[in-house]
Amino acid sequence: MNPAADIQLASVSVGDELPAIAIPITLQRLVMEAGANRDLSLIHHDAGVARATGAPDAFANTYFLMGMFERLMRDWAGPSARIRKIGPLRMMVFNAVGDTVFFKGLVESIDEAAGTISLDMWVESDRGKTVTAKAILELRA
Amino acid sequence: MTEPTWGLWGTWEETEQHLGKVVGQSVGPDPVERGSIRRWLEPKEFACDIHTDSDAAKAAGHENLVAPASMVFTYGIAPYWSPGDKPAKIDDEPTQIQIPVIFDVPAPCDKSFATSIEVEFFEPLYPGDVVTCTSKLVDIKHKELRVGKGAFLRQEDTYTKQTGEVVAISYLDIFRFVAPAQEEES
Repeated sequence: MNPAADIQLASVSVGDELPAIAIPITLQRLVMEAGANRDLSLIHHDAGVARATGAPDAFANTYFLMGMFERLMRDWAGPSARIRKIGPLRMMVFNAVGDTVFFKGLVESIDEAAGTISLDMWVESDRGKTVTAKAILELRA
Repeated sequence: MTEPTWGLWGTWEETEQHLGKVVGQSVGPDPVERGSIRRWLEPKEFACDIHTDSDAAKAAGHENLVAPASMVFTYGIAPYWSPGDKPAKIDDEPTQIQIPVIFDVPAPCDKSFATSIEVEFFEPLYPGDVVTCTSKLVDIKHKELRVGKGAFLRQEDTYTKQTGEVVAISYLDIFRFVAPAQEEES
């Protein structure tokens, strides 16, 4: 999805849902991600090391989760939106190889004076809700 | 979510001595450019022209194509190897991502995991920008969790570009601890 149009602040309501993104976690994707975001910790691409720490397999790193939340916002809000804040982002359950994870979110509040909205976002998989994150977006008036 | 890290060993008194101080600084080795942005977008199946096309970015109010906001972390990571570094050997410990509150702040702990991160964004990153990350230890909270006894260490990372402008400020919470059995032995 390449967002062509911008969401206008006036058209947003509390409770609006962002279109969910499904993405499969494969080892190839994790390797591509590690090379691209430069977090080369072994737990994110070496199943043996990851399992030794209690994880079911190699698992997605924090920067991937941050970037996917950015994509979730960008796909919905459009090219002119400014991302002002992401977080707190809390990691509760592993997002591991073999999981298909869903990034979801909704509008939590609107600050018309500041031209910003607050979002409540999360990640789901068969393991349940794995990550939560808040964010603040500045939208065109 | 346990990370297999060793960390710098020391006493809690030594940990406290670092509170409020700069504990690390790294300069990203590569300036912002289109190729690294494209490779970052690829595994996320992230399509947005403002990150790859300067005309689209300008139409959205930017001065040039703009890096994704959360890519600031990547541009602030120090190189894993540089000319002059000693050659690697097969039995060397693998190089992990540098997190100063684990590797440069002493604590009586040999395990750690990240629990939370938040980041506020200010100036955008454009091609040619170079990012410096300056890390401070800003809080220590002792706690006993199911995994063991230790403390939450909060690392404040300030990301600046070559002009001195602040790009982002993040707060990373790391729980450093020893597992109960190890603690009894020590």
